Amino acid sequence: MRVIISDQTKVQYRYPARAVGILGAVMVIVSIFLPWSYGQGALDDVGFTGAPSPLQMFVVILPVLVLVLLAIPLVGKQRLGKVAKVVAWNTSAKTASIATLVTVTIALAAIAIELKGLANVEIGGWLALIGAALAALATPFLPDSPEPTLERVKSPKWAQIVGIAVMMAAVLFAAAFALNQTDAGAFLTYLAFLVGVVLVLRQFGVMGWIGIAGANNNRVLVMSAFIVAFAFPFTQDGSDANMSIASQVLIFAAAALGLNIVVGLVGLLDLGYIAFLGAGAFTAAVLSESAFSTIDFHPPFIVTVLIAGAVSSLLGLLIGAPTLRVSGDYLAIVTLAFGEIFRITMNNLDGNDGPNVTNGSNGISGIPELNFFGFDFGEVHTILGVEIGRFANYYWLMLVVIALIIVVFMNLNYSRIGRGWVAIREDELAAEAMGVNTFALKLLAFAGGAFLAGVAGAVKAHHDVSVTPDQYVFLESAFLLAAVVLGGMGTVVGVLIGATILKLLPEKLRFFSDYRLLLFGLLMVIMMQFRPEGIIADERRQLEFHAEDEELAEEIEEELITHHAHLNPERKGFEL
Amino acid sequence: MELFFQQLINGLSLGALYALIAVGYTVVYGIVQLINFAHGEIFMVGAFGAFGTWMILGQPKDWSVAASLFILLPLMLLGGIVTSVAVALLTERFAYRPLRNAPRLAPLITAIGVSVFLQEFVRLFYGRIPGFPDAKSAIAFPAIPGISGESIQVGGVLIQMPAVFTIGALAVSTVFLWYFVNRTKTGRAMIATSQDADTARLMGIDVDKVIVAAFGVGAGLAAIAGVAHGLSYGNIDFRMGFLAGLKAFTAAVLGGIGNINGAVVGGLVLGIVEAMATTFIPGQFGSSAWKDVWAFVLLILVLVFRPQGLLGAKVVDRA
Amino acid sequence: MFKRSFKLAGVALVAASLAFTGCGSRTEATTGGSAGTNKIAKIGVIAPLSGDLSALGLGIRNSVDLAIRQANESKAIPGWTLELAAEDDEAKPDIGKNAATKLASDDAVVGVVGTLNSSVAQSVIPVLDAAKIVQVSPANTNPALTKGADYLTAPARPNANYFRTCTTDAVQGPFAAQYLLGEGVKKVATIHDKKSYGQGLVSEFSKAFTAGGGTVVAAETINPDDKNFSAVISKVKGAGPEAVYYGGEYPQAGPLSKQMKAAGLNVPVMGGDGIFSGEFIKLGGSDGDLATSVGAPVDTLASAKPFLDGYKAAGFSEGYEAYGAYSYDAANAIIAALKVSLASATDAKSAREATIKAMSSVSFDGATGKVAFDEFGDSVSRVLTVYAVTSGAWAAKKTGELK
Repeated sequence: MRVIISDQTKVQYRYPARAVGILGAVMVIVSIFLPWSYGQGALDDVGFTGAPSPLQMFVVILPVLVLVLLAIPLVGKQRLGKVAKVVAWNTSAKTASIATLVTVTIALAAIAIELKGLANVEIGGWLALIGAALAALATPFLPDSPEPTLERVKSPKWAQIVGIAVMMAAVLFAAAFALNQTDAGAFLTYLAFLVGVVLVLRQFGVMGWIGIAGANNNRVLVMSAFIVAFAFPFTQDGSDANMSIASQVLIFAAAALGLNIVVGLVGLLDLGYIAFLGAGAFTAAVLSESAFSTIDFHPPFIVTVLIAGAVSSLLGLLIGAPTLRVSGDYLAIVTLAFGEIFRITMNNLDGNDGPNVTNGSNGISGIPELNFFGFDFGEVHTILGVEIGRFANYYWLMLVVIALIIVVFMNLNYSRIGRGWVAIREDELAAEAMGVNTFALKLLAFAGGAFLAGVAGAVKAHHDVSVTPDQYVFLESAFLLAAVVLGGMGTVVGVLIGATILKLLPEKLRFFSDYRLLLFGLLMVIMMQFRPEGIIADERRQLEFHAEDEELAEEIEEELITHHAHLNPERKGFEL
Repeated sequence: MELFFQQLINGLSLGALYALIAVGYTVVYGIVQLINFAHGEIFMVGAFGAFGTWMILGQPKDWSVAASLFILLPLMLLGGIVTSVAVALLTERFAYRPLRNAPRLAPLITAIGVSVFLQEFVRLFYGRIPGFPDAKSAIAFPAIPGISGESIQVGGVLIQMPAVFTIGALAVSTVFLWYFVNRTKTGRAMIATSQDADTARLMGIDVDKVIVAAFGVGAGLAAIAGVAHGLSYGNIDFRMGFLAGLKAFTAAVLGGIGNINGAVVGGLVLGIVEAMATTFIPGQFGSSAWKDVWAFVLLILVLVFRPQGLLGAKVVDRA
Repeated sequence: MFKRSFKLAGVALVAASLAFTGCGSRTEATTGGSAGTNKIAKIGVIAPLSGDLSALGLGIRNSVDLAIRQANESKAIPGWTLELAAEDDEAKPDIGKNAATKLASDDAVVGVVGTLNSSVAQSVIPVLDAAKIVQVSPANTNPALTKGADYLTAPARPNANYFRTCTTDAVQGPFAAQYLLGEGVKKVATIHDKKSYGQGLVSEFSKAFTAGGGTVVAAETINPDDKNFSAVISKVKGAGPEAVYYGGEYPQAGPLSKQMKAAGLNVPVMGGDGIFSGEFIKLGGSDGDLATSVGAPVDTLASAKPFLDGYKAAGFSEGYEAYGAYSYDAANAIIAALKVSLASATDAKSAREATIKAMSSVSFDGATGKVAFDEFGDSVSRVLTVYAVTSGAWAAKKTGELK
């Protein structure tokens, strides 16, 4: 866009462009009070006059943003004061209007598909489309605003904390609403809306500011994130359907975080990681009081968890000790082979082809619910007037496990061990020459990652009620790896996002379920070509993947400097 | 003793199959140090290509033995090879080449993606070709008169013709490979590149071309293995590449990765070990259900005690 | 700091709850449309609708759909309209559990047909049991699902909501053993694929076969994803069996039969209903191979006609596959129970428990023969037929009742 329209044209047309943009935004806003579709059943029933559906209420936020972003500068920048100069009005308006167009288009396409035919799109839908198109066409004619510098503005601590809290509340609210969308089209529309809002906020400079605020108040950020996650079951009104998905996402995420240590920090590719989760699950199942349990030792769950973790890390040592010496690509294939060995062995230990430990392919079922000091995880509890069902109980337990993993991960990452790992990842020979005990550190990562997966597996056994070998196939390992790669190797938030995407999208978008794996494979390939560092990039990692990109290196350096300046405000002379 | 020889033949035929696939891993690894994880899928695609050729030829069922052996089978092999090579070169061009200077993790993850993609692509779209059967479950591979179901009795040992075909194909391919690598210009360029890619480039060797040749040769042999698999076991399916590829990689490591002769020897050894384990390991662990485990245990043992492989020529630690 | 965060979470909660209540007035306009005065009850399906087992799963869904359509057409349950709620389990236990949870939280769901895989069933049953929803599986054969962990020594039913229309291995195995003994076969080798279906079949077969005076000369296992059986065949061949009994499904059984004959082991392969499929012959099953299947041959069974004709007429794009007829019977069993339980019910949810109770008295002639359940929830049908491959197609050999 920037190339096609010259700056001169932009200055020339800035007033008509603004006017048309505002008109378009108003059209979209008006449209939600008109029916978007003939008949019912499209999205979340968008066929009403005067009564917008919840989804429409959300979608309308985008054109409102366009309107606000275009209208406020009319007041005059002088009158707006200092704030007006550090944010990007015009470019954010452009992003918002394009996001509006994309969202409206997806919504209309979904209506057309769900009700079979474009003829089912009603006047409101067309009005929204025309409005969005007008705005999207007009806003590129506005002069570009300079890059926002909101993050450099000093803000009081209370404002930063409020900012974090507002963002977290928005995340909770957005997640709860997203999970409640049963209609695939509505879910996709909503997703487009969310991505749009995030992009607009980033463009406007808010995200940068939040990032700095978060870095300054790290504890508040982490704490409020956990509080929000903890509060999530209360938004579900006693329904188990979404909690069952949410608790699975957490189990998956816990395993992915363990893998993240191995792949993201140390750079060892483990393709059989699911076996460690399985080892934990099988250990917990065998030690549980299930009628199918094959040994007569049933310790309390706290002990079981530790044993499960220990068994997994023992397997990690067993497989790591011989292969970590040869390093490199071999490890990938050996771990893959190990994953297969694990699955086949679990299948074979059925009393027929080996001693009876796992009941073979039948697995161990009827694993009893957990019970902590009389708190039965299988029961429905009423807390603050909200029914908290079985899956919500396990969700909370997993939240504790994940918190533990994150604490371990963070502490390791910024410790001597973590620096050693990164050194190994960057250049093993150099690390060794500098006196890093590479073998011991690699083994530690391998065993440590396995331990975390084992712990997650132990909870999974009770959560799933039954453990069978066919859940621990190679494809699951590939999915775990994909969660790490997609989200961003070496980051916590990235992996959490990656795990959520990989588990949630297939549940919500059933209509392409047959193409799920095809798209998964394609996504891995495309990701490696265009954004190998993942959605949320670890800065060191990003540089590694774009070694020749000077601009990026400078950008990151600059970011780090602002970051440091904020962290250490008294050291003002922190200059290049 | 009869059982021993019978299992030896079984093992050799299985091993020849592994060896044909393993060559592809070894050649590519020798030149670009990439474990082409998707190579197992190239093998699968080759089998489907050969089957497709048979479909296009009008599903000939009652050709004479001579016509089948000298016209039908070569055509099917050709069809399989063309499909495999085309797919391999496409993946090389669009998935691996852009990542040639990326960190090691990137191409490996790409390879997993390609592998999943190819499997799913065949599963979903093979049946969409007009007249072709649905590939969502196993497809019966056509019988070739003169090979399928035929066998020779030697003493108490029964040698099946598909086994003869597989072992023969390996023998011919090995000779061809030897000639190609040692006597042709491209082959010698491959050796040079595998020894030192930068120097080879300075000497005027087009490294891109050499890499394409490596992918092509590997894919061609994998396609032959695909046909051999179809003839030996009577059916093909979209998942057949995963385990076969894994075993073939094991074979390549066993023989010493980067070493073509090693891949052949490693394949044969692995096949024999698998067949023998089923018969001669006593008790519960001798069940056929454990044979994959023994193969992988062998891989780990080799890595511990002889990381350079049986015929190891390459330094292993290159990461 | 801590206090403030709590306050903010509270604000978030208030905001969230506001949004969910804000749209209350819209819903009234939507109801009272074309549905008429009939109340809605849903029958769920949990089966693999995508992935490599989707052929079987879609067959299950379509057959249930057919049963529901026929029930609605004949107004089988006055005052109620039945609906299908099909959920995909991808043949994975955790996805199956999500599907079950989703169905359980839908108040209109009164019964579920599924699952295909026993391993998925283990995760699904507890969820549905907690919600008191009846579940009828057309395909699970793991005996522990109905008789508990000690199904041989001390059978005890673990979940009262669980039934199945397919027969367990305890019926098919002995019937095959009796047939082979009757044909004068005394030495048999067994092979199974280690899955619960195959393993169960072989162990029941072996027991009956040795009790009847025969010998099992070799007992082998293979991995379900194997393609190459030469090593096993060579081992079995050395034992000199007169027949091979295979516990497993056709994708392995077909190639196994073909490779056996190629390796010079010219004896028939016999198996259960898992190999009773046209695919078995396509993949290498040859003349003389045998299979047992439940019920009298479908073409001789008058009660199978509505299913076969209906399926054809309904125009589904997928075939009904191996478990279609069982699924049709499973859905009809639920519908038969609903006739009792829904008659006096005010809403679907309150009829759930009564439906489970009514299941025990269900009895009718279905597409696979007589459909009724014993005290464990297993099918009581003991009529079986032996089929043999005769000039490239399955042909009924002998129909009888297992004593």
